[in-house]
Amino acid sequence: MTLMASNQKVVSTPQSDDVVLSVQGVSKKFCRDLKRSLLYGVRDIGKEFLGLRGEKNDKLRKKEFWALQDVSFELRRGEALGLVGKNGSGKSTLLRIIAGLIKPDVGMVRVNGRVAPLIALGAGFNPVLTGRENIYANMSILGLSKEEIDERFDEVVEFAEIGEAIDSPVQSYSSGMAARLGFASAIHTNPDILLIDEVLAVGDLKFRAKCNRKLFRLRQNGATFILVSHNSQVLLSACNSAIYLALGKVVTSGEAKSVVVKYENDLFLNEAAGKSKDSCITEEINNDEFREIKINDCVFIDDQGRIVELLKTSEAVTLCLRCTAYERVDEVIVRLIFRELSDFNELVLELSSKADEEELVMELGENDVLIHLSYLGLKPGLYSLRVLIEAGARNTCDRVDSFTFRVQSSTIMSNCSFYQPRSWKISNS
Amino acid sequence: MKELRPPPKQMHRPSRSRPEIYTAVYRPESEMRRPLQLFNRMWQDLLASRELAWQLLKRDISAQYRQSFLGYAWAIIPPIVTAAGFTFASNAKVLNVGTTDLPYPAYVMFSTVLWQTFSEAITLPMRNMAQSKMLLAKINFPREALILSSMGQVFFNFAIKLILIVGMFLWFGMPVAASVILAPVALVHLVLFGIMFGTLLAPLSALYKDFAKGVPLLIGMWLFLTPVVYPVPSGEGLFGFFVKLNPVTPLLVTTRELATTGVLSDPQGFWWASLVALVGLMFAWLLYRLAMPYAIERMSS
Repeated sequence: MTLMASNQKVVSTPQSDDVVLSVQGVSKKFCRDLKRSLLYGVRDIGKEFLGLRGEKNDKLRKKEFWALQDVSFELRRGEALGLVGKNGSGKSTLLRIIAGLIKPDVGMVRVNGRVAPLIALGAGFNPVLTGRENIYANMSILGLSKEEIDERFDEVVEFAEIGEAIDSPVQSYSSGMAARLGFASAIHTNPDILLIDEVLAVGDLKFRAKCNRKLFRLRQNGATFILVSHNSQVLLSACNSAIYLALGKVVTSGEAKSVVVKYENDLFLNEAAGKSKDSCITEEINNDEFREIKINDCVFIDDQGRIVELLKTSEAVTLCLRCTAYERVDEVIVRLIFRELSDFNELVLELSSKADEEELVMELGENDVLIHLSYLGLKPGLYSLRVLIEAGARNTCDRVDSFTFRVQSSTIMSNCSFYQPRSWKISNS
Repeated sequence: MKELRPPPKQMHRPSRSRPEIYTAVYRPESEMRRPLQLFNRMWQDLLASRELAWQLLKRDISAQYRQSFLGYAWAIIPPIVTAAGFTFASNAKVLNVGTTDLPYPAYVMFSTVLWQTFSEAITLPMRNMAQSKMLLAKINFPREALILSSMGQVFFNFAIKLILIVGMFLWFGMPVAASVILAPVALVHLVLFGIMFGTLLAPLSALYKDFAKGVPLLIGMWLFLTPVVYPVPSGEGLFGFFVKLNPVTPLLVTTRELATTGVLSDPQGFWWASLVALVGLMFAWLLYRLAMPYAIERMSS
């Protein structure tokens, strides 16, 4: 991919014969208000018909905003570009302009080759008709002739794992079957440029793996991809370059890894900013009999004692528990339970001062329990920490049920489930 | 001694020759500013959409009749019911329509079939557009296919109704004029006139729901200004004037006359209306194409 800065300078060497897609300074405006949007639509149609619409329509009318602003890039045959950005950042709008579905307001798109969106057309199936009839209808919508469909038909059915059900009406299919069939017919159109919008979330794990293999083969045969995905791993494994869009503007673009790292860090930062104020939820245990120690606060601090808001994998950090002891406690046991906040809230780490055979003593009054982690081994993500302070065995004094914090990384952590401190050298003996 | 070389590996060739490189450029400015390029693309897309239109037609027709007990009978039930109703009213002297050149039930039935064909030509492009919203919003296929397939549906439905018309001719023992072989030409003009409105209204109806509600109402009113259940009025009154001004009148009446009596009452009006239909259809096609990206922009994808 050749990325162009806004000053239109081409970064890499131009080989214009191989360029399959060129997007030059494309902008697109949308209207938030539905009624007004329809009115603008009718006006634009009138202008279009009378030939009044010019090359630059860069004035925002009332209640309009830029859904896409000054996006430029070039793609060569066989390249794969990833698009990242939050919902509403303009990714789909960009794909729709490239597909020729909607017109840009400023700028130009030039496409050499057949563009096809890779979308699960399951929703476009007619439920009364059989799978066979739907395949013919849908693949011809995607631009194939009857002979081409005849040729690929068996392959499509086999890929979708439909089998005998191909001659039953689609309404008797499970939703998974319909999605698989839609996806299989879309993937077998063999276009030059594939637009893939979050589609790989269709079907079960096995089917997804099959789709990825098929996409890989298509790319080897010279197909060009544009991939939109929220899954960074999918994106990194498929794309060599990426564009990060926010509010319709290109934030950064270039080599996929650096773009994805930037995007993820921004994403975490924004969410952390929203949460950091009340991320520490201390729940006291109201058990008067055993309440010798009370946890007042739970924070991460650095070597200088400053509070760390955002943790970084591989860096040193200290967890500080500010406690008040109402009497001297000889045998303090601190237990830390880390869970990764995901679908399963998986337990990732449990630390206990007892297991470490630490003998901790807390004097009457204010105390800081400091747990120094010389290398933070947690990979980037959102975590929930549960803290328990016990005086002697099975005597819980106080606890923090959920202290939520985010970890981000300055190094690439793909395929690493934890950070391994390391150093490299070659020893010549 | 000659050097032995392995035979050249066979190149993987695509099964069917495609145009080598298909280049498309999307610009913000009005396509009307490059008219030659626009007309060329329209022609190319029309050619490219034939096969797709055929597949869509097959899909829509099978789907339409499969989930129905009476199936194809639904094409002929409405004209029979209409004819029965009006004949009953006319015999009971509730309705006085004057004399028709055909037996009255046959007259009403035949005219209703023609009128329905015309009104379907208006509504089917709109309905097909509404049904394919999801595909339109996601896939860039030649938009002409929707109109072509609607036209195909109109003719298919007429073909079924033809059975009714043939039966009617036999039942009433009506003579067939030799001019019947020209009747399809007039019918095509009638359908094109309807398709013109359908094409014009389809993208607008995707924007505003008002069209989906208003158009059937207008078609209902239009029916009263067309000699379907009554003969062409000879009078000079305001009503007669409007019926004469209505371009559907000469198209529908000529089709009916070519198939039955063979005596044309208004050939000149027929040609004028046909001209309006053809020129209007070209305009409608142009507007349809140009309006589509703006309509799609406002559909949820």
